[in-house]
Amino acid sequence: MKKTYWRSVDDLTGSPEFRDWMHREFPDGASEHVPADDRRTFLKVMGASFALAGLGIAGCRRWPETKIVPAASQPANRIPGVPVTYCSAWDFAGFGQPLLVKSYDGRPIKLDTNPAHPWGGAGISAVAQAQVLSLYDPERSRQVLSKGIGSSYEPFATFLANTSRELKQKGGQGLAVLCGAASGPTHAATMARVRAAFPKATVVEWESLGRDNAIVGTEAAFSAPMRMLPLFDKAKVIVSLGDDFLYGSPDAPQWAKRWAVGRSIDAADPKAQEVARLYVVEQGLTSTGMCADERIATRLAFMHVAASIIAEAVGVGSDSAELRAALSAANSSAAASALREGRGQKVFDALIADLKANRGRSVVTAGATACEATHALVAAINRALGNEGSTVMLLAEMQTASMPAMQALCKSMQAGEVDTLFILGVNPVYAAPADCDFAGALKKVARVVHLGLHADETARHSAITWHIPQAHFLECWSDTRSFDGTIAVQQPLILPMLGQGQGGRSVDELLAELLGDGPTDGESLVKSTHESLASANAGGPAFAEVWRKTLDRGFVEGSALPAVSTPPMRAAEIAKTLTGCAWECDSAKGVEVVFLRDLKVWDGRFGCISWMQELPDPVTKITWDNALLMSPKTADDLKLKRGQMAAVTVQGRTLEAVAWPVPGWSDGSVGISVGYGRSGEGVGLVASDAGFNANRIRTADAPDWTTATAIVPTGATYSVAHTQDHGAADAINTAVPLQGIQERLPTLVREATLDEYRTHPDFARHRTHVASRLSLWSENNLEGAQFRWAMAVDLSKCTGCSACVTACQAENNIPVVGKDMVLRGREMFWIRIDRYFKGSNAASPDGFALQPVACMHCENAPCEQVCPVAATVHDEDGLNSMVYNRCIGTRYCSNNCPYKVRRFNFFDYHRREVSREEGIAKVKPEYYIEEGPDVWLRMQFNPEVTVRMRGVMEKCTFCTQRIQAARIKAKNEWARAGGTASGQKQFSIPDGTIQTACQQACPTGAITFGDLNVADSAVAKLHRSSRSYQMLEELNTKTRLQYLARVTNPALPRESGSGYGGHGGDHGTDHSNGHSNGNTKG
Amino acid sequence: MSRFLFPRWTNNLLPFILVTGAIMPLYAVLVVAYGFSPKTIDAGYMPTQPVPYSHATHVGKLGLDCRYCHTTVERTSFAAVPPTQTCMNCHTQIHRESPKLAEVRSSYETGLPIEWVKVHKLPDYSYFNHAAHVNRGVSCVECHGRVDQMEVVYRHSPLAMGWCLECHRDPIDRLRPVSQITNLAWDQRIEMTREEREALATQYHINPSENCSTCHR
Repeated sequence: MKKTYWRSVDDLTGSPEFRDWMHREFPDGASEHVPADDRRTFLKVMGASFALAGLGIAGCRRWPETKIVPAASQPANRIPGVPVTYCSAWDFAGFGQPLLVKSYDGRPIKLDTNPAHPWGGAGISAVAQAQVLSLYDPERSRQVLSKGIGSSYEPFATFLANTSRELKQKGGQGLAVLCGAASGPTHAATMARVRAAFPKATVVEWESLGRDNAIVGTEAAFSAPMRMLPLFDKAKVIVSLGDDFLYGSPDAPQWAKRWAVGRSIDAADPKAQEVARLYVVEQGLTSTGMCADERIATRLAFMHVAASIIAEAVGVGSDSAELRAALSAANSSAAASALREGRGQKVFDALIADLKANRGRSVVTAGATACEATHALVAAINRALGNEGSTVMLLAEMQTASMPAMQALCKSMQAGEVDTLFILGVNPVYAAPADCDFAGALKKVARVVHLGLHADETARHSAITWHIPQAHFLECWSDTRSFDGTIAVQQPLILPMLGQGQGGRSVDELLAELLGDGPTDGESLVKSTHESLASANAGGPAFAEVWRKTLDRGFVEGSALPAVSTPPMRAAEIAKTLTGCAWECDSAKGVEVVFLRDLKVWDGRFGCISWMQELPDPVTKITWDNALLMSPKTADDLKLKRGQMAAVTVQGRTLEAVAWPVPGWSDGSVGISVGYGRSGEGVGLVASDAGFNANRIRTADAPDWTTATAIVPTGATYSVAHTQDHGAADAINTAVPLQGIQERLPTLVREATLDEYRTHPDFARHRTHVASRLSLWSENNLEGAQFRWAMAVDLSKCTGCSACVTACQAENNIPVVGKDMVLRGREMFWIRIDRYFKGSNAASPDGFALQPVACMHCENAPCEQVCPVAATVHDEDGLNSMVYNRCIGTRYCSNNCPYKVRRFNFFDYHRREVSREEGIAKVKPEYYIEEGPDVWLRMQFNPEVTVRMRGVMEKCTFCTQRIQAARIKAKNEWARAGGTASGQKQFSIPDGTIQTACQQACPTGAITFGDLNVADSAVAKLHRSSRSYQMLEELNTKTRLQYLARVTNPALPRESGSGYGGHGGDHGTDHSNGHSNGNTKG
Repeated sequence: MSRFLFPRWTNNLLPFILVTGAIMPLYAVLVVAYGFSPKTIDAGYMPTQPVPYSHATHVGKLGLDCRYCHTTVERTSFAAVPPTQTCMNCHTQIHRESPKLAEVRSSYETGLPIEWVKVHKLPDYSYFNHAAHVNRGVSCVECHGRVDQMEVVYRHSPLAMGWCLECHRDPIDRLRPVSQITNLAWDQRIEMTREEREALATQYHINPSENCSTCHR
């Protein structure tokens, strides 16, 4: 292509550097280059596809011929088109998550929690729900690769048989097996068999983001590693030392559910209302930190010092002079003074006073990344406070510290001691820390077998002899143990979606084949494990009955681990761990770099799930990338601005990442999530180039945090797609930053402290003055309707975990739009979580506010009034309906919506590949594609909800498909019973039958849906509560979605008042202004 | 001074405009008329099916009830087309060698289903629920016509939204006792009085919704 004008030689030649620069810098206008060659070609391509489209819809019919394809032989009790729900489970890095899987015509389409399971009934996290999409990932590995070339399973089976024989003769000499942590008894049994058959083999169960610190720390304290199970629901005071239990751990839903019990504002007499208090000491800003009543931001390196301060004050070490000495040494260090600076001292005092006043009713917990000393001290603190046995349960830890084992494995690989390596279900070439140099070590191994869901970086390594596609957990049998030890069976819902003879094995099935003695199919393996478990329970029911029950209800009765009561505590060991905590607390040494755990991608394994890439991070609201997060002060110190690239050097290794200041982050400490920055062949479209690879500077000795030698701006910038802007210029008064937001915020997110609530329980009603409720047009008449659907969202319980966002996406076929579109604000989520910072000092916010916003289903809806074609109309039951086929795309409705909850399909996103670059024409040309892996993603669609196309507006429907389904079912049952002749005058739907997707997924139960016409329904009670209010009620929209104001429980007075914010202070002024201007807005 | 002369091609311009101006409105009218005509909403659509199954024979002559094959019509949103197993319930004994049933037999043996062509297709954005109608007294014949007289199934009703609303706005004439649902020859307009039908409507609270969300989800 000949160019006439160009800016540089690179521009003329269109070099890769130039394209890269164009892509990364100043996206406005920069990437207008159409990837296809030039306009002429583009027009040709589009013209051709128009023509083809015309031909495609042939036959002079409005639609093409459709087929009905029944089964040849329908199984009994299966009605085609009626979803069936099965119990299953998912092992998330060694923690079983109980699931109910909804299967529609043999396709699993939605995952939810299993309420019957002891560890279930707590909603489901966003990442767990996203696993259903990974089943249908078109980029999944579908073919056996032999040295990178497509092959099939048969030759591999021969190879495996031969290898097995050979290894058995050698007793496993030279064999190494590397797999992930898996908790189930079947896996444990298989690994035991492997160790028995190959005694000289190295077997490593490794997690890149493991719990090594907790394991080593509790081992020091108790002489055997213990797992601490906090019972947050029984605690009056919760102290979290870096533990993001509300969002940042695999079992977050269960912790959040328990925490929410303590936050329930349901006392009959408001004066007697009690609320548990949450103190958080953390390095970064997390969901738990945002929900904290009191918060201290400090470097992760100081966490054990924070623990020491608490420990000394509550009397830890009363029986050990060593421990006391260690504690006082820690408490007189520079770190301790840093912690006590400013407000810190007051917070610690309040914290300690609270703990002392609530012995046996408090929980102190430490995060997975906090050092071993912190964990040891926390164990001691809980012991000293008498929490053990009442609010904290100790269970025998099932996992082992894995990073040292991984390091040892790498060393022996480098030394050439391993000639056969099995990498099962993990991606160490990407996820292993940089100093392990796994890629280099792999080259020294003669035969490597990789089992993986994707043909990822490990599979594409030159040393891999065989790559076998792994079966997804929804495709194979296994079992899991959840945190409390309850065993759940993982049963498949679909056969492996791979070609014939192309593998589709689970980890245990492959190992069973390696062992070669006995059945190798998952079902037999699991059944035999459970048979031996059942037989251990002599005198119990027959195994067949036990098995049936296990599959029906999803768990093995009575399999939870028993609590270990008062294991002996070793104060001397704790003291040693504490003094041995070599991390210096010297800020002059350099900026701390923390490796954060991102629950969207974990260690990178979920990076291929588009839902997770697009989900805004609960704290930073960043999508499709990670960033180098830091406090605004640190950013200034490092001379970095938001969006500028920085080079972080740690021990000679450098990583470039985009700087992103986050108000509330600790000073002198930067954080970056692991699991991003993947690139290269085999990574796939979704995960490629998303973010920056923190593993480059991460070492196995310091996998959680380290010190940077240097952090310097590189001069480049990077555009980050985030869905909520903080620190934006404020139009109301540019002289006072954020003033407008701060004035408005108290009416949008209404909060009060517990003291205020006790004296003014209806404080929420007094945040706005609604001068009049006159309407410009005649309002909808909803009198006499049989149902009045409504929803209540309790802001006291919302943690911002975004499980509702992903649930809605899964249920309603919401498309993923890609980074490019998110940059333009075109993300399609029907529900979003607004996250605000409070206070006008960006460097240290006074507090945080979270608010889920979905369509309010206003009775007096502004959107309905302006639709020119009546595509959005009001239901007689109160729902604002969206009729997609009538919509012509004027977008007047979203223009008029004051809550901005309407999303427009600017493109046909379902047919468009997600793009990180700006450009057009990445659309697949044919509409009715019937074959190919791209069709897979469509299998996840919920058939009960229309799939929207380009040009159509969409928004939350209160899950109208679920409402209709329940309604029709109830009506039919009543009609079949005889209608009015049955004795019931009219059919009814019991409260709680209909659960919207967001409600079902919410771990804390913050969302309630139901019928206002039923006087004692949950939602009616909540709407009558004194805390309930409508958002923007002064606009007289009469929303059916009401919020319940948040009640916080701070220990210390706040600088900005209690959350009354500007209103309280400027009350007089506003009023007089309002009256003198004749303004009707209060 | 040079006079301005119209270029030669404008000689043909005026006749061209007149002809186009006459044809365009006519074309527009024809397109709109075609669009509104029943042709475009396919009443009468009679595709060829892979197996020459005759409802007239099985239902009309032999007296099979609709629900023998379409088993799910009272329980779920769509009346399922039967699996091959249902056909073979009889046809393992009857007409065992018939060439017309070759496809059915091969499906039964191989387990691969028969691909029927859908006759009553609604757009993907609308959701119709059979159970809600069948359980409350709307017979098969109201929408599907005399299927018991069809050799090859054709689309009897347009199934357009306007046509659905005709009944939704005045359902009394379409109601019958649930016991007569599959009796296609029976006509409640003759066999029942209007009052009796209104009593049925009261008994089942027949108050068809005109809310968009009833069908458009």
